[in-house]
Amino acid sequence: MPHFREDEARSIIRAAYGRVSSESRAVAEAYYSADELERLPRDVVELALGVGNPLRHAALRPGETVLDLGCGAGIDTLLAAHAIGPSGRAIGLDMTPEMAERARRNAAAAGLGNVEIRTGFIEDIPLPDASVDVVVSNGVLNLSTRKSRVLAEAMRVLRPGGRISIADLVLDEALPEDVLKSPAALAG
Amino acid sequence: MLKKFFNVGFEAIKVVERQACGLADISRYPLFAPDFISFLERSIPSHRHAKLAFSIVVMAGKPA
Repeated sequence: MPHFREDEARSIIRAAYGRVSSESRAVAEAYYSADELERLPRDVVELALGVGNPLRHAALRPGETVLDLGCGAGIDTLLAAHAIGPSGRAIGLDMTPEMAERARRNAAAAGLGNVEIRTGFIEDIPLPDASVDVVVSNGVLNLSTRKSRVLAEAMRVLRPGGRISIADLVLDEALPEDVLKSPAALAG
Repeated sequence: MLKKFFNVGFEAIKVVERQACGLADISRYPLFAPDFISFLERSIPSHRHAKLAFSIVVMAGKPA
């Protein structure tokens, strides 16, 4: 059973992600190559908050449409935009307005014209059915109180034959109850 | 988690990466204040500190 209601969880997560700041590249350097990071604005690299590199196995092709669920400051959205080229479309979706705005600024700073950032919920993706070739997400699914709903929405927006690549955290053994009830643990 | 992918209709579901994630890894994230890391250190038995969770990457496809 979830330890937080959906509205509580969203409020905690928005507050945490809305105010986060960083001057460290440590998270980004754990998952991305120096070549990948070199092509990104500093703010994107320092605000990498994911738990893996979902693009590594996604085999993105020029011209594809990619949706990044919970795009944050935009690291995977922008790397996808580079991979799919100007004929493709990279869409970042984030429910935290401050993060979505940062991602827009970062896309502009990177000079990428094939990026579109939307503010919205991953449980109600604001895109038509069968409109996306690839869905990626990085450390975000575990933040949702309705994970099956998120996956059903990803399935809906994918075109037949489309693919999904999700990086996330899983537990082999439950954490202590007082940790699970902690808002700080939820936000991470 | 993989069952959730299956239940909504994905196919060819596979875990393509799996890596232990411990307290030292979590400490890198700016979302976590030092006092929260200390709280985790106190709350979680020390033998689990190197492996609190696993970072995984799951790939799957929508049937053509």
